[in-house]
Amino acid sequence: MNPAHIHLLLNHFPTIGFGIGLGLLLIALLWNSHDLKRASLVIFFITAALAIATYVSGNDAHAAIKDIPGLSPALINAHESAALVAFAFMQATGFFAWLALWLLRRISRFPNWNLAAVLVLAIVSSALMARAASIGTEIRHVEIQSGQETSGADPGPTLARSWALYVQTHSWVWPTCETLHFIGLSMLFAVVLAVDLRMLGMGKKSLSFAALHQLLPLGMLGFGINLITGIMFFVSTPQQYVGFLFFLKMMLVVAGAFNVLYFILLNEPWTVGEGDDASKKTKLVAASAIAIWVGVLFCGHMLPFLGNSF
Amino acid sequence: MTEFLLHIEQSGFCQWVRESDSLFAYSGILLMHTIGMGFVVGISACMDLRILGFAPAIKLAGIERFSPVLWAGFWVNTITGVILVAIHATSKLVNPDFYIKMVFIALAIIALQMLKTRVFRDPLIDKIPPSPKAKMLAVLSLIFWIGAITSGRLLAYVGPGSAGS
Repeated sequence: MNPAHIHLLLNHFPTIGFGIGLGLLLIALLWNSHDLKRASLVIFFITAALAIATYVSGNDAHAAIKDIPGLSPALINAHESAALVAFAFMQATGFFAWLALWLLRRISRFPNWNLAAVLVLAIVSSALMARAASIGTEIRHVEIQSGQETSGADPGPTLARSWALYVQTHSWVWPTCETLHFIGLSMLFAVVLAVDLRMLGMGKKSLSFAALHQLLPLGMLGFGINLITGIMFFVSTPQQYVGFLFFLKMMLVVAGAFNVLYFILLNEPWTVGEGDDASKKTKLVAASAIAIWVGVLFCGHMLPFLGNSF
Repeated sequence: MTEFLLHIEQSGFCQWVRESDSLFAYSGILLMHTIGMGFVVGISACMDLRILGFAPAIKLAGIERFSPVLWAGFWVNTITGVILVAIHATSKLVNPDFYIKMVFIALAIIALQMLKTRVFRDPLIDKIPPSPKAKMLAVLSLIFWIGAITSGRLLAYVGPGSAGS
């Protein structure tokens, strides 16, 4: 299995996930079913997380196939940019789905504006994704390429490539994003440490899970900053982010998404009041959260040393 | 002075840290410095934001229990930081940005200690909301940490021996 196969495998998740999520959400809104709404939001959140791995695997796939004759670089670039736009909308959908699940615990219902935002973003994402997928399909299936795209007329730099050019010609962008990436990291660590160290027993006398739950959006904001700045690095110098170590970092991020789902979805952590010990299972999930995010930091940090960056 | 710095920089230990491929050398020391930063700034930011009224259900007395983690991170970063400066002593110690970073860290630690006496050692903690002065200190603390991260990150880009020179 080469990286192109991995991309072809992973690229089914966003399309299928958003298809199922959108179907469920529409049925849930028609029947006004709380449980179906919740299920669709979980699917959007998880699919958005998997889309991170899907999006970055395209880069490895590109590196693996770039020397195969007959493939159109213009089509590959067009696919990259279409995927980038679809990816951005999917992440926004995933964020609002997460927010709705978080708010459910605070106000015991899904706010209508929040569900509306998820619905609109999911519809737009699905349309953008269909466009990205259809361009992507043409890359390999030469028989269905329409004549005009292979006629060789230069369509000019795509969105992603002109962005990369901007970063390469403006020396302040990279250090600024690096700094923001570190600030986002600290915000994420603030929440991961406070919630998970408490679940492991630190400061248990005066901290309940219900109180710490209020902190979670800060961690999500930190993650959001790092996703945006991270994609900025990735799009500007894709050749640095080829290979196992970076892909492992992205898979750990996906694992982190599943991990946070335990704390926003299940009732078990909610039983941890002031002075209570968390269950063994909750402690295990809490410890794994710290391990996952330190692992993410490790993989990112080691890119220049063990990987092929910089 | 330069000779002295050169002497440190050229010592066997510093050469090993710079040139070895071992995970315990440069890459690992820098990794510990970044993880330590996450611990120090993360916990400190939690305290500051809580004092400012964010996540009001969290008890300040509870957050104070995370202090040992913050200080563990601080000492890890002091040790790794000394090594990271020593291995590039002749360039980092003449870089004004390095001193800006040190000032920010010193101010952040002073703010932290002042919050400790004014908020966390207050017998009325969690009974009355933090005073406007405490909130001001919390804002300053956040600004100092952001300043420390920014100047620290920029050490890789500005001044002698950096990517930007």
